[in-house]
Amino acid sequence: MRAGKFIQTIFFTEIIKGMALTLRTLFTPPVTRRYPKVKRPVKPGFRGLHALAKNEEGKMKCVGCGLCGAYCPSQCIYIYTSEGEDHKKIVDRYEIEVLRCVYCGFCVEACPFGAITLSEHYEYSDYSREPLYMTKDKLLANWDRYFAGEKGLRYFRDFWRPKAENFSAYEGQAMFDKVKARRKEQK
Amino acid sequence: MEDIEQTEKTFETKELTISMGPQHPATHGVLRLLLTLAGENVVKCTPYVGYLHRGIEKLGENRTYLAALPLTDRLDYISSMNNNVGYVNAVEKLFGIEAPERAKFIRTIVAEMGRISSHIIWLGTHVLDIGATTPFLYAFREREVIMDLFEMLCGARLTVSYPRIGGVRNDISQEFLDELYDFVLDFPSKMDDYETLVTENRIWKDRTVGIGVISAEEAINWGLTGGTLRGSGVDYDVRKYAPYDAYDKVEFDVPVGTNGDCYDRYLVRMEEMRQANRIIRQCIEKLPAGPVMADAPKFTLPPKDMVLKDMEHLIHQFILITKGPTVPEGEVYMGTEVPKGELGFYFVSDGSGRPYRMRVRAPSYVHASVLPRLCEGGMIADVIANIGTIDIVLGECDR
Ligand code: SF4
Ligand code: SF4
Repeated sequence: MRAGKFIQTIFFTEIIKGMALTLRTLFTPPVTRRYPKVKRPVKPGFRGLHALAKNEEGKMKCVGCGLCGAYCPSQCIYIYTSEGEDHKKIVDRYEIEVLRCVYCGFCVEACPFGAITLSEHYEYSDYSREPLYMTKDKLLANWDRYFAGEKGLRYFRDFWRPKAENFSAYEGQAMFDKVKARRKEQK
Repeated sequence: MEDIEQTEKTFETKELTISMGPQHPATHGVLRLLLTLAGENVVKCTPYVGYLHRGIEKLGENRTYLAALPLTDRLDYISSMNNNVGYVNAVEKLFGIEAPERAKFIRTIVAEMGRISSHIIWLGTHVLDIGATTPFLYAFREREVIMDLFEMLCGARLTVSYPRIGGVRNDISQEFLDELYDFVLDFPSKMDDYETLVTENRIWKDRTVGIGVISAEEAINWGLTGGTLRGSGVDYDVRKYAPYDAYDKVEFDVPVGTNGDCYDRYLVRMEEMRQANRIIRQCIEKLPAGPVMADAPKFTLPPKDMVLKDMEHLIHQFILITKGPTVPEGEVYMGTEVPKGELGFYFVSDGSGRPYRMRVRAPSYVHASVLPRLCEGGMIADVIANIGTIDIVLGECDR
């Protein structure tokens, strides 16, 4: 023990070991990306910019019940409704102050009609507040832009939660075959 | 010659008061220290906190129990998962409901992932403050993997809001578990890398051994918890002595130090990361099948596909969101072990859907108060080491 300590003190062994490690790492592939040029793929179900869903006929799904606004922890959803002909509720304005939103996804969870979604778009910045104050038209346009075609349906199938089928057991999910095989390899 | 003597006579030495922070990079946020220096020695040190005060406790009292969850993300923003887990556990205790077994295991997994990611940041920044750049870069490489896993799990990297009262937001996928298992198998070798770079390094040892010594008795009296307390040799861990979630079903050791200096606290946290890794591995292997949300319609949001089919579910949905759950009156305290120490939530309920009083016992706040004790009498360069070693995050300290 003493001798080991002595050798370490004289020959700087711990420093050399560290240097060897950094030298080895020099030849491993880089883990960083050149961001604006190379973008990292976003994982499905990412909580990004909002969009208001449309139904098959292209109409806004939202009925203006106000649950999303009531549940929103940062209270940044404003809904203004009025009474139309034959006592129907009309959503006049539906606005989200995106700069105050914390992207918790609670509005999606609160909505009973599947009318609000969070898209995978995350690159929005601007010089003033106006472009980031989302009005109804902008939110509906977001739907066309980020949830075109099948994507919207898939979103509600996979990420609109909680779901009833999530409440039951998956077959064999407790122990996975792949994991098991890898464990054997390890041993 | 006469000149010099003359100068020495008029040039009296006196104490100098300087302000360190709130923008100093080594203060881990916006901590301000008012230091009185005699040469390089610290005579007096006064921490000033409150630069990041957002009134989270008060905000929590204005939200329903369900909707206050994202606020806890912003307490200790580098281990938001642990804060969420602490919050939902406290609220569940108040409601008197219990999460299903599978949800408990999932929560244990994600909480330990949060612990690893927080300790990795602590390691990177603490070592960087003292002068070693390389471990910082390596540490963030591994943290990135955990962040990606969180994103795969719930769609957000940092402010996750993943656990829910009565369970978790969604079940975990096969893909997630596979990648996590890969990480878990890899991680010990990564730990070895950090240890090669830091543990035996003579500069590191010179800067940390015997610095910021605090005895076990004093540490208890100051109210320290977590790694900061265990470094002084006190064997106290909430996970072990008041187990919540699935901690009583997994094996792990609680590392303790002996000297109570910066180096021992470093060793304790390094070992904690290995233990966290061990816990995750056991949890994956033992993960039971079953539901991930408690069957408590009065407290948890109903499943979406039932809401428009069933009147009862729709009513629950409306009442839970607008009025909040109907809560028994009473008080409850629940402490959980977060990477920084013991995070406690204390609720006073008056029977409405919002807490009458929500109090957060933040470990960082207690730890910041011990700074004068550690710094006074030492050198100014050791102030940096002391701030790093008590592992504070000002978001939690100021709340
Ligand atoms: S994501 Fe959260 S903060 Fe943002 S609008 Fe929805 S509920 Fe509000
Ligand atoms: S988005 Fe959904 S919850 Fe919000 S007002 Fe429209 S229908 Fe109601």
